Amino acid sequence: MTDIEYIRPLNLKEALDFLWDNGEDTRIIAGGTDVMVDIRSDGLAKKYLLDISRLDELKGIELNGQELSVGAGVTISEIDSSEILETHALALKKSAFSFASRQIRNIATIGGNVAHSSPCGDTVPALLVHRAKALVADKKGTRLVPMEDMANKAYMSSLSPRDILVKFILTPYQDGFADFQKIGRRREMAVSRISLAVFAKKNNEGKISFLKIGLGACTPTPCNMEAVEFFLTGKIPTEELIWEAGSLLAKNMIEITGRRSSAIYKEPAVQGLFMRILYPMVNV
Amino acid sequence: MVHIEFTINGQQKALDIPADITALELIRSLLGLKGTKEGCGIGECGACTINVDGRAINSCLMLAAQMDGTKVLTVEGLATENSLAPVQEKFMENHGVQCGFCTPGILMSSHALLAENPDPNDEEISKAIAGNLCRCTGYKQIFASVREAAILTGQLTQQKGEGGND
Repeated sequence: MTDIEYIRPLNLKEALDFLWDNGEDTRIIAGGTDVMVDIRSDGLAKKYLLDISRLDELKGIELNGQELSVGAGVTISEIDSSEILETHALALKKSAFSFASRQIRNIATIGGNVAHSSPCGDTVPALLVHRAKALVADKKGTRLVPMEDMANKAYMSSLSPRDILVKFILTPYQDGFADFQKIGRRREMAVSRISLAVFAKKNNEGKISFLKIGLGACTPTPCNMEAVEFFLTGKIPTEELIWEAGSLLAKNMIEITGRRSSAIYKEPAVQGLFMRILYPMVNV
Repeated sequence: MVHIEFTINGQQKALDIPADITALELIRSLLGLKGTKEGCGIGECGACTINVDGRAINSCLMLAAQMDGTKVLTVEGLATENSLAPVQEKFMENHGVQCGFCTPGILMSSHALLAENPDPNDEEISKAIAGNLCRCTGYKQIFASVREAAILTGQLTQQKGEGGND
């Protein structure tokens, strides 16, 4: 018998009040698909389980002008079936389509995926592409945290134990080319080894006029790839040019990770995945 | 201890449970419903799949306390007194069962799929049961079973419609 206490606050304020006093002793649970695995392997090692899965303040996908917001408690299945995201954040929707299994998508939340800070969180590269900011709340107020500052290192969130992730605010993109692809050990239920999200636009001269790239899984925390975006912008995307950009992407990845034993595999794989994902830009 | 109230296979339950047990432990150990299986215990194999409010989930990844206020269906609740559910009928006919360990989970994934989408194509079936592993690798028969269960479900719904207001 354990003396762990389960708490389900009725609203965000109640949850934040509780965390202000007990944050250090509390593990937050939403979908639970990561928390339950941790409890099974190491036990909880905390006094309280705070269930935020039913907080209305964390729900909903909304578009207000140039702001697209996705609640931290939105499930991966809800992202996968969202019409707003189909039009305004297709790469994020695509990342949900190939995320784990149906059973997990049905309860796992985007907030949990980000807060867990796994290098291979599949929603993170797309959030980076959309230059998302997280709205984080504690008892004293709210603040906006850029996606690239959400994790200090692998599995180490930058959030304090008193914080709750409320929602993500994305820059919506439409009428361009968007995709998310990953390399794993199999097609379904695969943990990403390398993942890439992109959004790109071409102008009427056929030159790339806008490009955002998010790389995941193969670096300790997912990252924007601004050098590659800069390299391709303003150029006509030929096959050779994309191959060259893929090589630059691989070089940038190695600069972040250092040359580890897996580099001999990952370098060409990153380049190949970049070619596969951007190849449609060559002919459209 | 946490007090929870929920419905399982049509029956109301009110229980006091430890705060850190899984839905799977509650179902198997406290309620004695052994149809739901524990395979990997970490959400990889799908043997523990149940339906919560109509959606397939891994009961090994759900905190039992989170079942409060929900409607739960396990493999024991699929059949009625008079007949097996279409998925059960068709798994039997098509030899969709080999050793049987994955079967309850695959039935529950398929059941949730057909409730949401009565006429799934092969890709949709594949997507819905991709989180269920069959170590006997009887996937062809499983596929055929789900496909035929969809047709049977369609026929039953139609009959019901023609039969009037029941």
